[in-house]
Amino acid sequence: MSKKIILLMIFMLFANSAPAKEEWKRAFEEEYLKILPVGEPEKVSVCIDCHKSEIMRPELRKIPSEWRQSWHAENNISCHDCHGGDPEDEKMAMTPERGFVGKPSHAQIPEFCGRCHKGILEHYLKSGHGIALRKTGHAPTCVTCHGSHGIKKASIDIINEDLCTRCHSYERAKTMKLALSVVETKIKDTEDALKELRREGIVIERDEKEFFRIHAEFRALFHTTDVNLVKDRTDEFTRRLKDLDSRLSAYFKELNFRRNYSVFFMLLFAGMGGAIYFIYKENKGK
Amino acid sequence: MKLMDYIDERLGLTSLIRSQFIDYKVPKEINIFYTLGFIALAGFMIQAITGLFLLFYYVPHPDHAFSSVQRIMNDIPYGWLFRQVHVVGSNLMVAVVFLHLFSVFFMGSYKKPREFHWLVGAIMLFFILTFCLSGYLLPWSQLSYWATTVVANLPTGFPYIGDIIADTLRGGKSVTGLTLNRFFGLHVALLPCLMSVLIAIHIFLIRRTGISIPPWYERLEHTPPSGYRHATYPEGQPFYLFMLKELSMVMFYIAMIFFVIAFLPTLFLPEDTLVEANPSRTPEHIRPEWYFLAPYQMLKLIPSKFLGIALQLILLLVFFFWPFIDRSPERNILKRPKLLTVFIVTTFLWIILTITGGR
Repeated sequence: MSKKIILLMIFMLFANSAPAKEEWKRAFEEEYLKILPVGEPEKVSVCIDCHKSEIMRPELRKIPSEWRQSWHAENNISCHDCHGGDPEDEKMAMTPERGFVGKPSHAQIPEFCGRCHKGILEHYLKSGHGIALRKTGHAPTCVTCHGSHGIKKASIDIINEDLCTRCHSYERAKTMKLALSVVETKIKDTEDALKELRREGIVIERDEKEFFRIHAEFRALFHTTDVNLVKDRTDEFTRRLKDLDSRLSAYFKELNFRRNYSVFFMLLFAGMGGAIYFIYKENKGK
Repeated sequence: MKLMDYIDERLGLTSLIRSQFIDYKVPKEINIFYTLGFIALAGFMIQAITGLFLLFYYVPHPDHAFSSVQRIMNDIPYGWLFRQVHVVGSNLMVAVVFLHLFSVFFMGSYKKPREFHWLVGAIMLFFILTFCLSGYLLPWSQLSYWATTVVANLPTGFPYIGDIIADTLRGGKSVTGLTLNRFFGLHVALLPCLMSVLIAIHIFLIRRTGISIPPWYERLEHTPPSGYRHATYPEGQPFYLFMLKELSMVMFYIAMIFFVIAFLPTLFLPEDTLVEANPSRTPEHIRPEWYFLAPYQMLKLIPSKFLGIALQLILLLVFFFWPFIDRSPERNILKRPKLLTVFIVTTFLWIILTITGGR
């Protein structure tokens, strides 16, 4: 009798449960993570919703997918960060009241990107590209080399024959690339060392920030297209990277020390364990 | 020597040591699994000591928690050592407690007159997992933040009281600085006190009834027909000898902690623990710690939140009160094929759920 009552109670307990949903495995995490820290449902971007929809022309419809693959997306830079507007209000999304600036003209592009990339803009405007743009309005701008929505993390490989020879000969750019390559290799090594330290559980924010500064300044220098200036400043960047590397080497030494220290204690305690167990065995037999 | 005599005249330590370590005998037949309880106790002490050192430099505030932990790891002399021992120690301690539980179950040590030992032990396991959950959030990393978000959301599956429990736990509708403060309070003040009391009760109960022996040596233990009886073993070994065995195992346990620190330093500190909590960015793969993976995976497999949680609660109640449910006088699980099958299947399922939950 009591078993029946227990079974009935269990049945009643489960009778209230919700029916199974489709794709419940994927829904699970959404269900458990739906409450965001502000206590509101996750915000959606009307820019992306609209650009993905059928009402958009095909060339505009591919923008969201390009952006998702971009370096900007990886760093949480969204549509409204560049184009302004309100990504949460469909009706007001593209109004000047909400700061919408839309697509810049070709001549406006450097200023458009330079709102964030200030150092690069400064160098670009002094460069042959920048001067030509000011004079003719038809020189290469940021998007000529980097692309727009699908922008990738920049590297020295952007300077290449295919790209440069679209407008002029490659000779000058090649000399520039050679001058940059020494520092670029060093930057790559330092970046790898910082990643390796992270993998080992060491986060050195101040050194990461210093690396970011050097990296950004060096990248800004690319944009002068002034080979002599690049050559002049190579020594300075090399020295700064060397200083940073010596600090990182100290961390690698510290990691080695930690490992050796732990191994020593591991052996010490294992040895003590063995010795005590031996004493136990000896005494137990008596 | 005079000083020792002076103290002994007042405290009677000599007779206390004699009665507790030499005259007190434990059975010769007890195996290595009987040392697990002491290892867990030593593990708890290690956690308390290292935790105290971490407390000197840790700042329980969302703006400073992460950086203070990084400071402990990188700047404070030997801070890394205390943190690593604390992190690795907590995981190994949970493993030891699980093993202890399995061995107690397998050897039927929870049976009359030791039902309360099991109950207190089960409550301690619950508190240890709460310890782990609360401690996990404290570094305020991406991993800790989102894992806590998932786990703290689990009670909401329950109708009526679910939201109240979850909100009380978090201090609101989501994991915030308030949650950090609550978990910090739980971790460093309330839980240590409760655990200390429970450990004292657990040890008292073991001493009161006497230690059990493996069921296959049952002939040595005379089961009384009724009434209280303290199990004694006049032919056994002095307790200090068994203490030596326990101590040697504790040494191996500490050696194991250092092995992990030396060769697998990031085993319990993956890359997401090196990124500060960002409430607006959900990481791609969120999963709780390994000991929560089985219940987490079970919830994933059961297509109703309420059903999943209700089932787990029932299993939890069965687990807590198992000695009162299993009334069979037979202690030897090898002579109980049905129970042995349930034990093997449950253990196997638990392992499978843990493995699949971790993917």
